[in-house]
Amino acid sequence: MELPAIPNRIETITAFKQNSGMIAAVLPIHYPRSLFRAFDVLPVEVWGPPGTDVSHGGAHLQPYVCSIVHNALSFLKKGGLDLADFIAVPHTCDSLQGFGSILLDFVKPKQSIFPLYLPRGNRPEDLRFLTEEFRQLYRHLSGLTGKKPSEEILLRCIRREEKADDLLRQLYEKRQKVSLSNYSFYHLVRTREYLPAETFISIAEKVLSRKGFDNPKGTAIILSGIVPEPMEVLTTITELGAAVVADDLACCGRRLYASGKSEQPFRRMAERILNAPPDPTRGNSLEERKQYLLRLADQTDARGVVFYDVKFCEPELFDLPRLRAKLKAAGLPSVQIEIDLNDPLSNQIVTRIGAFLEILG
Amino acid sequence: MEEVKALGIDVGSTTVKLTAVDAQGKLIWHHLEGADPRVEDQVDHFFNLMREHGFDGKELPMVATGYGRNLVEQAEKKVTEITCHATGVYNQLGHGGTLVDIGGQDSKVIIIGENSQVVDFAMNDKCAAGTGRFLENTAGRLRVPLDRMGVEALSAAEEVAISSTCTVFAESEIISMIAHGVEVNPILKGLHRSLILRIVAMIRSVGLVPPLMLSGGVVKNPAIREMITQELGEQVTMPEYPQLMGAYGAALIALKNSNRA
Repeated sequence: MELPAIPNRIETITAFKQNSGMIAAVLPIHYPRSLFRAFDVLPVEVWGPPGTDVSHGGAHLQPYVCSIVHNALSFLKKGGLDLADFIAVPHTCDSLQGFGSILLDFVKPKQSIFPLYLPRGNRPEDLRFLTEEFRQLYRHLSGLTGKKPSEEILLRCIRREEKADDLLRQLYEKRQKVSLSNYSFYHLVRTREYLPAETFISIAEKVLSRKGFDNPKGTAIILSGIVPEPMEVLTTITELGAAVVADDLACCGRRLYASGKSEQPFRRMAERILNAPPDPTRGNSLEERKQYLLRLADQTDARGVVFYDVKFCEPELFDLPRLRAKLKAAGLPSVQIEIDLNDPLSNQIVTRIGAFLEILG
Repeated sequence: MEEVKALGIDVGSTTVKLTAVDAQGKLIWHHLEGADPRVEDQVDHFFNLMREHGFDGKELPMVATGYGRNLVEQAEKKVTEITCHATGVYNQLGHGGTLVDIGGQDSKVIIIGENSQVVDFAMNDKCAAGTGRFLENTAGRLRVPLDRMGVEALSAAEEVAISSTCTVFAESEIISMIAHGVEVNPILKGLHRSLILRIVAMIRSVGLVPPLMLSGGVVKNPAIREMITQELGEQVTMPEYPQLMGAYGAALIALKNSNRA
């Protein structure tokens, strides 16, 4: 079943700016969408993008820096972020923190840069730290835009994002009943990277109102890692006879943020991020990740995990051998695949996925 | 010749192998030749060869494997080389363990469990280090026939360390060594060591489960067998036709599927 018409990034940015809105280019992974929206700034995420001419970034960065950062620098230097008014760089990993520093100290683009520091834990002091970090971002945005959105506006924006995320969660829960292919499902999920929440809500409600009952066919698998690029891999998985029934992807399932509890807006935004599914970039333990993946497999009858990672992703790859060993010991087999955002889907990757599916039988 | 009951074809990056098995799964005929990028034409040629040998391949169940497997239209099923190698070697040697397959442009380590099922595997990444191409390229530079490389390497008392794992950089390194008067055989020994260390790293990434088995065209090289034993402290075993194991496994799968039908 096809998706309703969905505007692409450029169309979305253009339309938003025509209505006097501003754009923040945001690097992965976690940040408070609602805070930007309270200032009439649309956050548009930059996961590379794939297929960028990396010669601009390659001249400045070490070869072992991941392709998300390589591409982002190249994209910026060749004008790809010219439509953005701000650039936000969460401290997701050393490479992205380094990217933020490079922008501030050397590249000095025309846009204001917001580094965003994230705590590595979920203790009370982590919540206090992140709450204060968001207050700081508020002051920064206020200084640049001249706006001072009230707590009421902030809470309204938070609730709108919470509604969008709740619909996203429903899509995940009902994915087997909304008759979307692997590719279409993730195409829709990934529009959260740039669509305003209200637009996403309208599209998600249309899809959820459908009454399709074509259960995904084939071997049920979980897709883990950072970003499913090239997206063609999802079609290939279908062709190889498998269905992605759940994911632990940084750009998708790890951002199934639950609603916050606090009525204090900055604290509520922080609660939402700190209570998200386990993520190595937020310091979750191996045991938490293992339990989460086993629970996902149990809930969805998934028979294996494909770890689909970007090469040189330090937080993702460091613990992977131990995580895979723990899952294997618990009866959940996995395969590890590494990609570069600029490479087409190779025969070797297809063979690895195919061989893994043959193991699963 | 016994009656042919099923066929397996392994369209690899360097060679294409076709095997035929009888009703008991015994390998009764095979053909191997260099890979032609026009896979469809080469497969047609293989079918002509089969007719010349008295059987019509088009009438037989066939499974295709290898990187070109999806281009073999005549095959009723395509199966990855991981599963096919495991099936072929298990049937030849009669047990599981760790299979190291070193091919022309790829290498794989496959943990085979009881009943020939694949438990885990690792493959080399995009680069040709750790594959037959690494030796082939450097053999050309050193003007040593490919089939003599292993013997020459083992005859060297000394060994020169090759620091580049990249095939192209290793070639430059060798040229520089020769220019500085280093003997050929110690270089050859160092080259083999470099390849073996890549393979050993792959084995360790999945965890060695004895016994250690070898397949692929490259394992005909005696230095490969000896050095891998040195590095891992494990004796190696090999099937009679190490280069045919992918195609043989494919034929066995075709036979099994036809028996089920």
